[in-house]
Amino acid sequence: MRNRTFIIAGILVFLLAPFFGLNADSLNLTGYVRNYSGMLFTEGNDFAIIRNTFNLNLDHSKEKVAFKVNPYIYQYQNQDLEIGLRQAYIDIFFNFMDIRIGKQQIIWGKADGVFITDVISPKDLREFLLPEFDEIRMGVTAFKADYYIGDSAIEFVWVPVFTSTRLPDESSIWKPRFDLPFQPEFDYSRQKVSESFKNSEVFLKYSTVTSAVDLELMGGYMWDDDPAMHTVKNIDPATMQPGSITVIPEHHRLGLVGGSFSTTLGSYVIRGEGAYYFGKYFLSEDSLLEEGVVEKNYLHYLLGVDFTLLDIKMSVQFIQQLILDYDDPIVNDRVENMMTFLATKDFLRETLFLELFTYVGLNNGDALIRGKVTYKLADGFEVLLGTNIFTGDKGMFGQYNKNDMVYAKIKYSF
Amino acid sequence: MKIKKLHILVLNLILLPAVTISGAELTGLQIVEKVYNRDTGQDSKGILTMTLTNSQGNKRVRKIKQFIKDFGKVEKSIMFFMSPADIRNTSFANWSYTEEGKDDDQWIYLPALKRVKRISSDSKSDYFMGSDFTYDDLGDRQPGEDNHKLLREEKFKGEDCYVVESIPKDEEYMYSRTVTWIIKDKWIGLKREFYDEDGELLKILKIRKYEKISGFWTILISEMTNVQKKHSTRMELSDVKINTGIPDRQFTERMMKRGL
Repeated sequence: MRNRTFIIAGILVFLLAPFFGLNADSLNLTGYVRNYSGMLFTEGNDFAIIRNTFNLNLDHSKEKVAFKVNPYIYQYQNQDLEIGLRQAYIDIFFNFMDIRIGKQQIIWGKADGVFITDVISPKDLREFLLPEFDEIRMGVTAFKADYYIGDSAIEFVWVPVFTSTRLPDESSIWKPRFDLPFQPEFDYSRQKVSESFKNSEVFLKYSTVTSAVDLELMGGYMWDDDPAMHTVKNIDPATMQPGSITVIPEHHRLGLVGGSFSTTLGSYVIRGEGAYYFGKYFLSEDSLLEEGVVEKNYLHYLLGVDFTLLDIKMSVQFIQQLILDYDDPIVNDRVENMMTFLATKDFLRETLFLELFTYVGLNNGDALIRGKVTYKLADGFEVLLGTNIFTGDKGMFGQYNKNDMVYAKIKYSF
Repeated sequence: MKIKKLHILVLNLILLPAVTISGAELTGLQIVEKVYNRDTGQDSKGILTMTLTNSQGNKRVRKIKQFIKDFGKVEKSIMFFMSPADIRNTSFANWSYTEEGKDDDQWIYLPALKRVKRISSDSKSDYFMGSDFTYDDLGDRQPGEDNHKLLREEKFKGEDCYVVESIPKDEEYMYSRTVTWIIKDKWIGLKREFYDEDGELLKILKIRKYEKISGFWTILISEMTNVQKKHSTRMELSDVKINTGIPDRQFTERMMKRGL
């Protein structure tokens, strides 16, 4: 039924377009068709993914108004089509202000592949951090207003309805590992954040671009996109020992203030980003805690540098997460360090591209190494071969050490 | 797509109105400075179509919409990539300063990332979008970076030209020398030969069409051929408008994100 509605809506757009003054000249229709196939390095070489994608961007603009709709279809083997709208919004332009209303992806900050002040659009982590970033970031229905003063801007965002991180299914190879002595039961009764005005999220950002530095200062009052995993141990009355564990996911309010900068130093680009979070819930092994979680403030920041060496474009980032007023029973380390490395080089007049991107978790010695080679056979048509290697046996990346894979993507853009 | 040092494709292809100066009084450096320091108008916009042809005759086409404005001490340009489809709505901004020694500031907006990113402008010898033009070739190279010598005066394509040889002061530079045919009364480089580090002819730039638009001589079609690799790039400029009063806000991050 949903599919049929979508298709009918699509046909109506095309049929009715001329009546609204939209014609082929002014209505921009772009997008891509892509096949993505991935195979694990496991003994049976299981397929990690086989997916066909149709992604459409439909936009139209007049002097003072514009709209954009970005529908997509994912087709998996032996499954129903997944049809969605990544974005669907209307723009209203004034001399010194722009307003955008509707479902939209909002991206803040200067970090690459790391989310610090980039907290408005929740993440689709069904395939961990492997998809393209515009596929990881989900659109949120929001009211966004930007007021411009020269090369500076003040941006206000109101998100009336909360959307949480999209996590992998129980059967997914990307399901995060839970190290508990018992197979837990889940109680989802507290997970939903009701759709009401008092539960909305607000964000404010000031940004400026100057010759010396690009600067962003931001603040937000939001919900933590990731639920805190409240854990209740159920005591067996016969043995007086824990007999089972119930995990109760619950979202909590989170406040943050932060900022980012970017500047050049000779031929180097120096970037930084940081945020102070108020009221994050962390898992704790403190037996006095009723539900195994404790509320703390924490600092998350990054320093990065982009440069060119031997015609290879490189980027290095150091990321640190620091829990303040730390208690020893907290499961996370007080300080968690990570680094990322990126190297890219192109050949054959920008038709062949090599890229290596690596996340390294310094606390657990784990890593995700992503190498890929892209060849543009023709304008708008590319073939990509890549590999994802997970090293270590614990930590954010080590937990997936059985998911090493090789993959191919064929993409036709129009 | 690689973008490091993108130059001002319209302004540097726009030339001074005719000026009568006696060639006998000019040195090679002065002639090149006349071309470099030409009045380019307050602002301009246009659409640039680049056609890349390889040795097998296969063609690739890139289309760019661009805006340029002189703000006094800084010249700002902004480009929107119209095609090919996979880079559509990518935009690029460049701030170029009159202050000697001050590097350009550059930003790129990638629609997939939805973020404007500051980038470094360190490599002038990189080729622009896989074409046969380096960023220096597009006009940014300052006259003081080479030693110039007036070789002779001769007629070329029916025009009276100065023939100037330019040898880089930096011995590591990608060209060992260039030779340029400059039209005497228009200050147009009508043809230029580029020689590689071994002194062999590497590339030839030819101007195919130029016209006067709003009082400014404008090169509309030029072609660069790499004779060693048998690869060529044709640049065609269309819909050129000069001094139309482009508002300052056209050159901001706001417009980079808004796109075409």
